[in-house]
Amino acid sequence: MPPPDPPGLNVRGLWPPPEGPRVAIVGARRATPYGEAVAERLAADLSSAGVVILSGLAIGIDAAAHRGAIEAGGCTVAVMGTGVDLVYPSQNTTLAERILATGGALVSTFPAGTPPRRGHFPRRNWTLAELSDVVVVVEAGEGSGALITAEAALALDRDVMAVPGSVFSPAAVGCHQLLRDGAGLVQNARDVLAVLGRGGEVLDDPLRPPRRLGIESPLGTDGLLAHLSDALPLTAAELSRKLGLGFAEALARLTRLELDGSVKRRGEGYIRLPRRRGPAE
Amino acid sequence: MVTSVLGCQLRGLEGHLVEIQVHAGAGTGFFMVGLADASVREARERVKSAMSHSQLTFPGQKVTVSLAPAQLRKEGSGFDLPIAVAIALAQMDPPPPTAGCAFIGELSLDGAVRHVDGVLVAARWLAAHGVRELYVAVEDAAEAALAEPLLVRPAPNLLAVIGHLRGDLVLEYERPPVAASEEPPIVDDLGEVHGQEAARRALEVAAAGGHHLLLSGPPGAGKTMLARCLPGLLPRLDLDAAIQVAQVGSVLGELGPEPLRWTRPFRAPHHTISTAGLIGGGAGLGRPGEISRAHEGVLFLDELALFQPGALQALRQPLESGEVTITRSRGTVAYPARFMLVAATNPCPCGWLGDALQTCRCSAAALASYQRSLSGPLLDRIDLRVDVGRAALTALAGEPVGEGSAPVRQRVAAARCLQLERQGTLNASLRARDLRTHAGLGRSRATLERWAAERGLTARGFHRSWRVARTLSDLEGSEQICEHHVLEALGYRLDAAA
Repeated sequence: MPPPDPPGLNVRGLWPPPEGPRVAIVGARRATPYGEAVAERLAADLSSAGVVILSGLAIGIDAAAHRGAIEAGGCTVAVMGTGVDLVYPSQNTTLAERILATGGALVSTFPAGTPPRRGHFPRRNWTLAELSDVVVVVEAGEGSGALITAEAALALDRDVMAVPGSVFSPAAVGCHQLLRDGAGLVQNARDVLAVLGRGGEVLDDPLRPPRRLGIESPLGTDGLLAHLSDALPLTAAELSRKLGLGFAEALARLTRLELDGSVKRRGEGYIRLPRRRGPAE
Repeated sequence: MVTSVLGCQLRGLEGHLVEIQVHAGAGTGFFMVGLADASVREARERVKSAMSHSQLTFPGQKVTVSLAPAQLRKEGSGFDLPIAVAIALAQMDPPPPTAGCAFIGELSLDGAVRHVDGVLVAARWLAAHGVRELYVAVEDAAEAALAEPLLVRPAPNLLAVIGHLRGDLVLEYERPPVAASEEPPIVDDLGEVHGQEAARRALEVAAAGGHHLLLSGPPGAGKTMLARCLPGLLPRLDLDAAIQVAQVGSVLGELGPEPLRWTRPFRAPHHTISTAGLIGGGAGLGRPGEISRAHEGVLFLDELALFQPGALQALRQPLESGEVTITRSRGTVAYPARFMLVAATNPCPCGWLGDALQTCRCSAAALASYQRSLSGPLLDRIDLRVDVGRAALTALAGEPVGEGSAPVRQRVAAARCLQLERQGTLNASLRARDLRTHAGLGRSRATLERWAAERGLTARGFHRSWRVARTLSDLEGSEQICEHHVLEALGYRLDAAA
């Protein structure tokens, strides 16, 4: 049985989608090439198995998931944080049109004409979880919106699964938290199909949903951290240019982060360090 | 009868008064005594020829020239003129008075007076030791005139000197006013540097506090261009400093017709330079090296790791004391060498280590030895290190050109003013115990101490960052050193692998 529609759902395109399990594939907007590749492949494979792919029509992982489903000839649904007549971000306009053209749908709990609002997206994430049977998180940094979707899925008693990433990658931290807290491991489409009770061989025990996700805030609170990578060093000058800061200020703040153990010098630049375990300060 | 006139022998930047005594007596010959070296003994031939071309008779007697004091070694051709004058005077009765007069100049065979090196140094020394009039070659008059209140007599030739002494003519030099010391034009302007925020900031900080600077980056990143901009960020030389700079130029014979220059020197010796060439030395007592030529200015050492280790080691003492002492068997000379060191290094011998596009081809062994050559006591004396990235070619065309040198120079001047008023010296040369008095850290001390404790900062590194923090606060016009000053200063530290 597909989950019931939330009240006040606005729809553009074909709704409800064809019979079949619904899997939400969500993740970070600032995705790595690895994450996008995984999302696209997973969406394509699941689509081929008759799964409807839901995502949030954001850039990064969301867009990759929609793309993968469309390319595999499947049906995909975009759950939006704006009115269904308004595509945000606008660079995904073409993608939205392709979703509609391939028999998918754009849905939203917000009335037509609702512009993007920061506060709307958590509710969108909730709706996304509500409409799905399983939520798969592909790449989520700490504090990523995808983790809200995962929390919502737990609250709604949906299965949460996550794709592991590199232990060096900050974009995988959220996924690894989910996995440690009991989310199902996704290595390929079969892992997801197993949880759905479909497909063949079970490669991994479908684990019970975790009770607590235990997502903590990062150790450093400086917003600079969000702009640093764990692998590709950024110099203080590059960072100051990117953020429109004075060089002196950028260097001082980086040094503060370095002192706190949140970043490290590598060559000419700075990289972000994975958060140290231990008692919080 | 014995006549005598005064000359001057230089040892480094010190002078020694030499009395040239001439005795003409029974016999024949021309003898010179008084520890004169080969270049001085050659004066005999020049003096004889110059006198005969000047309608002066060389005595038909035995002529003995004594250069006193006899234990002082005399060298150089500057004694030609006083010897010839003394011989000419010996034949006059009575000889015109020459008390308080000194003579410096080489004679050409036709009697013209020629340039000798070091006239400025000699003139200043003589003026300070009671000499009132100095006869020099016409081309050296401007140099000599910098030694107030010395009366300068520009001598075109030997005959004119004798004529002046006899009262037949007057040799006069009108001392030009010392040029109004306006800000010199900026030759290499920071405005022409694209991007490079880090290096720009570091240059400003280095200029403000007199800190030595290490630029690290791949070939072609613009390290040389950046270093060349530094003199333009420094306030112009004051009269005292300009004269010190000119003195070094004078000893080396490098002064032009305008002996005083207000721009800061910029010296960039090639890495194959010898130790003597870099710090001073060579034949005899030793001549000033590049570090003295860079006095009050900038010494730029590109490819620091490729310099001879001995030459770099020899830099340590001058970096510490602001002067260099060269000791030879014949004595010791000291030259000023208070310069700002800007050193540049590549990340590795081939220059491509860590580059996004090119692969480094250095072997591990080559890398290790390169890093080794960069470590050590020299780097200990450098306060600031900054990485210079290669600007992308697209950025070269598109990036906004940054602030020019003129406003930076104003900020630097203001910061230097604060330092000099407060402590009488630039922050870079503040001694550790004076830091406590003049650079109270307040609450930011905890940050510096935490860093030192957790990251293993050496005592020297601790003081280095402290000095830089003081300069950063001075640039901001803040009497108090704040947290962000300390943090930024730590960002320029050297202990991270070069």
